[in-house]
Amino acid sequence: MSLTKNSNNSLSAGKFFKNVGRVTNYIGAENLSLIIALIVMVVLINSQTEYFFSGRNIFNIGQNMAVVGVIAVGMTFVIVSAGLDISVGSIAGCASVICALVVTQLGSVPGGVVLGITIGVALGMVNATIISILRVNPVVATLATFSAFRGVAFLIAPGGRSIGVLDPSLGYLGSGRLLQFGDFPGIPVAFMILVIVAVGAHFVMTSTVFGRSIYSMGGNPVAARLAGINLTKMRYAIYAIAGSLAGLAGVIVTARTSSGQPASGTQGLELEAITAVFLGGALLAGGKGTIVGTMLAVLLLATLSNGMNLLGIPTFYQLVAKGLLLVVAVAIGQWRMARSERIQAKVAAAGGDD
Amino acid sequence: MTLKTTPILAVSGVGKSFPGVKALSNVSMDVHPGEVVAFVGENGAGKSTFLKILCAEYSLDEGNIDLDGVKLNHCTPLDARDAGLRLVRQEPEIIGDISVAENVFIGEYPRLSFGRVDFPGMRATVLELLERYGFAGMIDINALGRTLSPAQMHIVEILRALKDGVKLVAFDEPTSSLTSREVDRLFGLIRILKSEGLGVIYVSHRLHEVMEIADRVVVLKDGVLTGDLMIEDTSEPEIIKLMVGRELAHGFNREETTTTEVVLEVNNLHSQWHNDISFKIHAGEIVGFGGLVGAGRTELAKVLFGEYAKESGVIKISGEVKNIRNPSDAIAANIGLIPEDRKGEGLILVRSLIENASMAVFSKLSRFGILRNRDMVTTVSPYIKQLEIKTPSLDQVVGKLSGGNQQKVVLARWLAAKPKLLILDEPTRAVDVGAKAEIYRLIDDLAKKGMAIMLISSEMPELLSMSDRIIVMCDGKISKPIEKIDATEEAIVNYALGTATN
Repeated sequence: MSLTKNSNNSLSAGKFFKNVGRVTNYIGAENLSLIIALIVMVVLINSQTEYFFSGRNIFNIGQNMAVVGVIAVGMTFVIVSAGLDISVGSIAGCASVICALVVTQLGSVPGGVVLGITIGVALGMVNATIISILRVNPVVATLATFSAFRGVAFLIAPGGRSIGVLDPSLGYLGSGRLLQFGDFPGIPVAFMILVIVAVGAHFVMTSTVFGRSIYSMGGNPVAARLAGINLTKMRYAIYAIAGSLAGLAGVIVTARTSSGQPASGTQGLELEAITAVFLGGALLAGGKGTIVGTMLAVLLLATLSNGMNLLGIPTFYQLVAKGLLLVVAVAIGQWRMARSERIQAKVAAAGGDD
Repeated sequence: MTLKTTPILAVSGVGKSFPGVKALSNVSMDVHPGEVVAFVGENGAGKSTFLKILCAEYSLDEGNIDLDGVKLNHCTPLDARDAGLRLVRQEPEIIGDISVAENVFIGEYPRLSFGRVDFPGMRATVLELLERYGFAGMIDINALGRTLSPAQMHIVEILRALKDGVKLVAFDEPTSSLTSREVDRLFGLIRILKSEGLGVIYVSHRLHEVMEIADRVVVLKDGVLTGDLMIEDTSEPEIIKLMVGRELAHGFNREETTTTEVVLEVNNLHSQWHNDISFKIHAGEIVGFGGLVGAGRTELAKVLFGEYAKESGVIKISGEVKNIRNPSDAIAANIGLIPEDRKGEGLILVRSLIENASMAVFSKLSRFGILRNRDMVTTVSPYIKQLEIKTPSLDQVVGKLSGGNQQKVVLARWLAAKPKLLILDEPTRAVDVGAKAEIYRLIDDLAKKGMAIMLISSEMPELLSMSDRIIVMCDGKISKPIEKIDATEEAIVNYALGTATN
């Protein structure tokens, strides 16, 4: 309580900080810093090139976010539960191949989409089984399936090669656009899929028993079990969700590239998604992280690479920049946590609120 | 007896406080060369704190520690070790994948040139030590740590303490994992140490061992020294009296409540830790569970709650047989558990108060799996208020609350779940005195409202004042219930030490 007394010294400043505090509380301090970083980056890029705010370019950013964004949503579930799923890129590869096979062989686009997602669910369950029943650490388990599932993707693709799919209604999922008129290039359909997935996931994470239980089990699995949460069931659901979204991402890749790709287009997605989740404020130890944070991070990363492309900066620098961004973001998070602990220790030592 | 010598260890006026607790006050004692001094006291009397202060794991608040002329008041554990003070731990840290010889020398490997480890020298030294202290042939020095029996691990721990420059050895509950033959061997070792002129501190619950091996006995009670007697001038009953003779000044006076409705009935329960346990708890009744640490009380709570498996036996709740295989089954059977380790097992420290408090009733607060925020607030708030949990808001991260408030959050969780049987495992551990009184009042309230309560406690005043009946556990078995009027500290200690029989 002694802390608020100081703000009487300068009333207006106090009020200002109070309002800032309220906004920070609502958005969350981590998300606020992502937003600030995003604004700074946009201002910087925009000062160097006139193309950034062109409709075409914004459309591209939205289009490019979709695949990694969908996977990052699933990864958020996994990481908040104190797990990790390295196999999602390989699952997406399997789904891409399956989807293309179904569309070309059976001629059914809905069938291809559904089966692509279903194979994702099935492979997610395989991960959950290895982790829960065989008791293999999630990193090791999904490192194994990372390799195995990629192999499966090549095995089911005839000759291990990509499968061409020339079906316009499938293509619509990947490169279609909504609300196009005049100069406005419209909204990418793939981006809308991401928005729907993210909004749904946000609702699940914040407002359902299942979602809150993910936070509990990630924060302290023993306490969660002693409060009646069935960890095995939870893991099955979580890895199935991550798998299904990886499957969906694979379907979008097939749609965009008009081909079922066992590897190209889905390789490295897992690491990009993991990067986004940590950048979005999640802890490797679990119990923390939000869909909003992850989505902001995906947007930030997409903007970064788009801006650097516009400025003609070679990809090699982009890779270094992404790495730096992650280290800086997590280091700031650690520093903030340590500071709040120090303040708390001081309050406790002074015999404050306790 | 060589009492005319200068003491090898002189402790004077040592005091130590933790937030809300005075763990030790004004403890003075000494140990002479070639003397074995036993330390006895109940759980929480301050024996472990004293040992930790001796080997400088805790710093002392006041007083002096002098080991053979070296002041050890504010030094590091390494300094204390270098000065010649060694602790033989009850549960030694043995590294599983290195050999016995390496385990003995861990951290202090003898070196050859270029930083190479002198393996032959190390093995030779260990063999010599084994010979010298009567352990020859009992342990293979090339065996890996994880293949050792508890007794062999204990030998490794002893060799670590004795291998060089030792002046005083403190044994912490050395016989808890030993058979009687191994105990005899240990006593042989202690006699060798005596003859070599070392000082020995022997901490134990087992009074007959103390009578056999010690020259002198020092009794601690509630952090205060209550006796320092030569063994030949005392007896077991006198020591017990010194350990427990306490006024129940801070006790809590409960009105007795008696109902006939049986809430929990346990019949012939067997498990890895337990041997034929049967008892009943009635509605509105508080049954205290006493016993030493390691007697199997916490494990019993967890078996009842489905966290650990039982081997056989029947658990009935309100007359109905319940097959409890996991904690969710236990919750469905209307059982609540407040675990002993609230940070490790009770709370999700990184999450908010309201989430922590409503966790066990998530399913009741939801429709089609969607949580109703308002219902969460209306369900939890009354308990936050009733328990007087001090928090800036319901969204406060639980890790930032004080210990007492954290404990109340776990309590709030189970109050919200409205169980018929509430198991409390050391509910006031590391809670300050004020919060303690509030928690007692609350437990009393719950019993009055008809909840059956199983109260596991190592604190005598708590056990005696809160319980309607007390069951004492010893080595996985239970005593017959002691009715409130017959309950005395002597009776409980006797059952807990296994010196009394049913």
